[in-house]
Amino acid sequence: MTAPEEQLSLRGKTALVIGASNAIGRAVAVALAEAGADVAVATTLASQGEEVAANSCANEIWALDRKSFAARIDAASESDVDALVQRAVSELGRLDVLVNAHDLPFAKPLTDVAPAEWRRVLEVNLTAVYLACRAAAAVMLPQGRGRIINIVSLLGERGMVNGGPYCAAKAGVLNLTRALALEWARSGVTVNAVVAGWTEGQELIADEELRRQLERYLPYKRLAQPREIATMAVYLASDAAEFSTGQVVWVEGGALSHV
Amino acid sequence: MGVLDKLRLNGKVAIVTGAGRGLGRAMALALAEAGADVVAAARTQPQIEETAEQVRALRQGSGQALGRKCLAATTDVTDPGSVKAMVEAAVAQFGRIDILVNNAGGATEGMGKPLEEITDHEWRVGIDTNLSGTMYCCRAVIPHMLKQGGGKIINITSGYGLRAGRNNFLYTTAKAGLINFTRSLALTYAQANVQANLIAPGIFPHDNPALVEYWRGGQFIPMGRLGRDEELGPLCVFLASDLSSYMNGQIVVLDGGGLAGGQAPTGFAPVVPLEGEP
Repeated sequence: MTAPEEQLSLRGKTALVIGASNAIGRAVAVALAEAGADVAVATTLASQGEEVAANSCANEIWALDRKSFAARIDAASESDVDALVQRAVSELGRLDVLVNAHDLPFAKPLTDVAPAEWRRVLEVNLTAVYLACRAAAAVMLPQGRGRIINIVSLLGERGMVNGGPYCAAKAGVLNLTRALALEWARSGVTVNAVVAGWTEGQELIADEELRRQLERYLPYKRLAQPREIATMAVYLASDAAEFSTGQVVWVEGGALSHV
Repeated sequence: MGVLDKLRLNGKVAIVTGAGRGLGRAMALALAEAGADVVAAARTQPQIEETAEQVRALRQGSGQALGRKCLAATTDVTDPGSVKAMVEAAVAQFGRIDILVNNAGGATEGMGKPLEEITDHEWRVGIDTNLSGTMYCCRAVIPHMLKQGGGKIINITSGYGLRAGRNNFLYTTAKAGLINFTRSLALTYAQANVQANLIAPGIFPHDNPALVEYWRGGQFIPMGRLGRDEELGPLCVFLASDLSSYMNGQIVVLDGGGLAGGQAPTGFAPVVPLEGEP
């Protein structure tokens, strides 16, 4: 019998986290490294602010004595994503875990949403996840093993005022997760999703009044810490979760149990 | 036959439990308007007599009486003997039962308590009232439906059957139980042409001003208002009619959009006081 901490250890494994410039993605990358993995991190929008955040994340991973690199990509660009996966394989030696933490927050009354905005929100939140899964599967399917973990907002399950494009994209990721899980179930590649509840550092709840209402309403009377989402990703990335695929695991402090 | 003709329930007989007031009365009246004769079952005799009077008094727009019949049957759904007697009385009076609406239920002693304070008695009464009563009614009615070659069962669950609430154990557990009970009914009797479906109403405070005040008039519901009793009637008629003949084991939620978001994530955070708040 293997000890639980060994079953959860990611020592000797490598991971790629896309979307590491947002609070949850960054926490996931660091937690995977703490669990023993070498972790490459990438931005989603190729913006300079994102690059700074990704670099600081990579530095934090190096400080843990794990290998890392930060890449500035446009996650909706096929060639960027393919090159990123190739670079992860060549610099880290292999690819065991892909975490899709892509997130482009967006809220606007639907009548004001321009078709170009709709396409961009879908592109970064959904199409980019497909591109990453496809590129990673090209490595994982031949090696007969791999873990894909999609980080999704609870708006993939529930609606929100002014959230049309965002909610549609996030729900798309949830069912993409289930479909790919079935497709790759016999190839050793598992695909699961973690649904993050309202979490510290999320742009959508920067508004003080909304935040105050949420804190009053949530069963714990507080938001999640990014770290509390990341631990579930560590579990799903580990050998302990080998039999779990196509699942959506909720880490939302009980918020969705409530009417 | 036109699509609206299939909504007609002429010649059918419907039992509605909890028909003495509120949603039960509204559904009894709607079924009667659509053509059914009605058995109004509940514990409180004067209330079901009033429902029966209203059913008998139904008129067309022209003023002509509809001539619907209504049997007021005093019934405690938590007592299988009482349920059996009610169903026998219904068959004796009308000769058949086509529709069963299990609406009886509601608040019982012990609701709103933390778990460690709920007594054995409170638990049993809560589950009997909101879950077992429906089972007793279905068990008594189904043999008649099987003999007749079919029937319609409509069970009333709640948003609290799909989601939970703080200190809400009796009601949420029973109402969630109803959902899977109904799905099992649907599977068991599908080939016998009995369809069993659920309605999950949102917040319908009826005419109770204290409830309207408690729910702040429904400000936190996406549509910005509470449900009106008469809004449930048409859905009940639809589920009782031939229009829903291929629908089985399903839940229809009627709640002004409340469950689409859950209160907090939609930005419609509750304005009602939460536990531990003034």
